[in-house]
Amino acid sequence: MRNIFIIAKNTLKLEIRDKILYGIIVFGLLYVLFELFLADLVLKELPMVKSFGLTGIYFFSAIIALFLGTTSFFKDVDRKVVYFILSKPVSRAQFLLGKFFGLCAVLLLTTAILAVAYLGLIAYEHGGFDGLGLLAICMQYFEMALFIAFALFVSTFSSSLLSIVYTSAVFFLGHIVSSLIEDAKAIGLTGVKFALVETLYYIFPNLEKFNVRDLAVHNVATPFVSFGLAFAYAAVYIIFLLAVAVGIFNKKEI
Amino acid sequence: MVQFSHLTKAYKKHKVVDDFSLTVDVPIFGFLGQNGAGKTTIMKMVVGLLRPSAGTILLDGAPSGSEASKRRMGYMPETPYFYEHMTGLEFVRFCDELDGSHGRNRTEHYEALLKRVGIYDARKDEVRTYSKGMRQRLGFAQALVNDPEYLFLDEPLDGLDPIGRREMKEVMRELKKEGRKIFLNTHILYDVEEVCDEVGVIHEGKLLYAGSVKAFCAGKPLEERFMEMVGAHTKRSS
Repeated sequence: MRNIFIIAKNTLKLEIRDKILYGIIVFGLLYVLFELFLADLVLKELPMVKSFGLTGIYFFSAIIALFLGTTSFFKDVDRKVVYFILSKPVSRAQFLLGKFFGLCAVLLLTTAILAVAYLGLIAYEHGGFDGLGLLAICMQYFEMALFIAFALFVSTFSSSLLSIVYTSAVFFLGHIVSSLIEDAKAIGLTGVKFALVETLYYIFPNLEKFNVRDLAVHNVATPFVSFGLAFAYAAVYIIFLLAVAVGIFNKKEI
Repeated sequence: MVQFSHLTKAYKKHKVVDDFSLTVDVPIFGFLGQNGAGKTTIMKMVVGLLRPSAGTILLDGAPSGSEASKRRMGYMPETPYFYEHMTGLEFVRFCDELDGSHGRNRTEHYEALLKRVGIYDARKDEVRTYSKGMRQRLGFAQALVNDPEYLFLDEPLDGLDPIGRREMKEVMRELKKEGRKIFLNTHILYDVEEVCDEVGVIHEGKLLYAGSVKAFCAGKPLEERFMEMVGAHTKRSS
């Protein structure tokens, strides 16, 4: 546990020194501020303002998660910094888990910055705390943590560029698998074709489980059970991905 | 004492290290060989970065790659890469924390180490500003941070200017006096002659000779003997 913590702490420290990350955060803040301002100016409607704000946070969190997940671990292995670390009494599993928790901490920090900007503006312009919006952001964070775990898993066997391609593809598929199976049922797909859709449904994570933005925008409370289930779903998926990633990394020649 | 027993490393059918057996118990031992001879692969197996295809390596009885053996050793890889946004001092501290056997935040120890390898003045600068020679010195410092009994140094004098080379060799001699054992990979014959007590000549993954430098040279210059031995082996195998 101690080594995981040291590597996570070091990952957090190094990533927050990265100018690229700062660039993404600044763009994220500008987007949230601009969209809120625009929506407020043009529409003067709270749901629209909230929708723009939450979507902005989601979009930039996804970019940050993709950037961190596909580059940080891969760079350490590719540039052989990992030689120093793994020649110390550190196992490969500890290194990989340390990277995961460190990247999640970076993501938590950046999401918190964007969330504070969003909640501050909502409070300033409409005089209230958007608790449901905060819950939606938390659910988004679970999704992004899963996203990082997937990117790390892919990084154990492919290059940084391919990791971006694979992770983006899973991100896209993860958002359509639930509607895909519904559509397959609706059009009466059977046999091999339905089995194929069903396989996709079970293999890829159902990322729509984490999407409660529409509920938050229209002030509909998310049931606590849904929140708990989303957390458990993310946790199980993350544990599975990291376990496979550790297995692959243990066998990798570095 | 380090014992290599029938050590083999193969990638598909190509053997990079081939049935390598050797016992080393001298203060400074140099692995000598051409580029691609298998020196780095052997060292990476010793420190647990690579797994042997066959055979074993024991460090005072502890298997290579085990926590017990890692705690007793320091390793400096060939052409070391670092976290560019870390300072030299932070990097050494990070490596010490990972070892974790000497308590936390030993700043005085880190500064003494950086002074010893000659980069104390740059300790608070980010590594990205370091020259190649300074990076070599930082690699050396992190290998020493856990006060190891064994040091495995892969081409440690590469990239250093003549003064830097002399200083590093002096540090190695001091470490020898302190009772540490050093394994050195190099293809620079002059360094071997100057600092090593014994050498192992490796060619195409096989051990051709192990013993004292003096006995190896047998009155001839080291370079000449090395060329003779490697040349004879190449002729035989072709």
